[in-house]
Amino acid sequence: MPSPRHTSWDPDTEPQLTLRQRLDRAARHLLPTVFAILAIIIFSAPVGLPGAAELLPAIVLSTVFFWSVWRPSGMPPLNVFVLGLFMDLVGFTPLGVSAFILLLAHGTASYARFGLMRSNFLVVWCVFGLVGAGAAALQWTLACVFRLHSLDPAPAFFEALLCIGIYPLLSATSSWFLRFLDEKDTP
Amino acid sequence: MLPVSIQVRQALAKLVLPALLLLSVGIMIGGQVEKPVADRARMYVADGLAPLWSLLAHGQNGAFEIVDGLREARHLAQENSRLQAENANLRRWYEVAISLARENDALKTELHWVPEPTPAFVTGRVVADSGGIYARAVLLVAGTQSGVQTGNIALAADGLAGRVTEVGAHAARILLITDIASRLPVLLESSHASAIMAGDNSPTPHLLYYPQDARPIEGERVVTGGQAGALPAGIPIGRVHYLHAGQPAVQPFAALDHLTMLRVFDFKPSEIEPPEAPGHVPLAHPRRPLALPFKTLLPPGQEG
Repeated sequence: MPSPRHTSWDPDTEPQLTLRQRLDRAARHLLPTVFAILAIIIFSAPVGLPGAAELLPAIVLSTVFFWSVWRPSGMPPLNVFVLGLFMDLVGFTPLGVSAFILLLAHGTASYARFGLMRSNFLVVWCVFGLVGAGAAALQWTLACVFRLHSLDPAPAFFEALLCIGIYPLLSATSSWFLRFLDEKDTP
Repeated sequence: MLPVSIQVRQALAKLVLPALLLLSVGIMIGGQVEKPVADRARMYVADGLAPLWSLLAHGQNGAFEIVDGLREARHLAQENSRLQAENANLRRWYEVAISLARENDALKTELHWVPEPTPAFVTGRVVADSGGIYARAVLLVAGTQSGVQTGNIALAADGLAGRVTEVGAHAARILLITDIASRLPVLLESSHASAIMAGDNSPTPHLLYYPQDARPIEGERVVTGGQAGALPAGIPIGRVHYLHAGQPAVQPFAALDHLTMLRVFDFKPSEIEPPEAPGHVPLAHPRRPLALPFKTLLPPGQEG
């Protein structure tokens, strides 16, 4: 797995970056995380958005998956962990569950990213569908384990379907962002 | 940055994900074991986010207001024409009312009508009742110092609300007409039948003892009846509504579940005294203890 900070390891061969360039790069790397954090804040706000409780994990999972596949430098494991922990703190899931699930999704995406980047969008979507279903099932299982009795699986199904359904939309938006960043990258 | 080789760095980078996974598992278990700590952390985060959330809610309210304003503006012309038509109609009724009032005055003058005394009233603010023996009663900030007496009538803006049952120096308790202890003689305006309106702690008191040949008509007005001298006649109460077939109830005009102000009227029923009639055994006045009528028949010095 190539690390995003490959270039900064050998400062002698690279021109020293100015402050503005460094800020620009940091902003670019933080963009997906900031987007996800904003989504968490907006969707956990008590403004009565319909289906906000199920939509939020779907959006965050899709974002993490997309950026883990296409630009892992924008979504390193530490950011994923912080996102998951923040989601747990804001929401009502047991502490650490979302972080665990998001890290697993991130690991899967990073592991399969070279195969996925070459393949068709539909294939990526199918793989994401599997990941989303697995995440919903895992969350349901963990919730059952922590509460020590079996819960209604219907919300988990709904969440998985929502997750699969929202991926193309977020993928299109994020692709646009990706292209925008790439254009800025190569002046 | 630490001076370590590329290989070590790559190995460390590969270790980050498993380490974080282990950490999240640890947090899961720790959060289950130390629930108060987890709850405090949640509250801390929620406290930090509260201003942002209130900002979002504020923005949402603003957006809703703008949308509502646009929607209203779309119907503005329609609403305007409707109001103009209604205004013209009301103007016509105003003229009719004025001419009727003049005619009424003229007729009363012709007939040497004795005018009824204008009842005195005080207005007070309703405070929530803190208990008492009634389920539907309110406390009014007006007491004996303001001239309120037991048995006075409390009116809301558009109808009868209840009767004063207890009076203090600065407060009076008013038994609402919906209370289960409330029984009022009423008159049905269209069918000209009298009945008893009995509260049952529900918002719609039901009608009892109406004549079987003149059933209450759905939607007719119910006013107070003058029987027994408890209430002055003709105070509007509400409309007849059949909750079920054969169970007429009264929908009060007054919004009895959120009263804010009440006017308490003193109709002074005791001022109207029937003249003495020789040989007539007087009935018990509702407000006075029963005086023995046979006392007068006994010669003086023989009672007791």
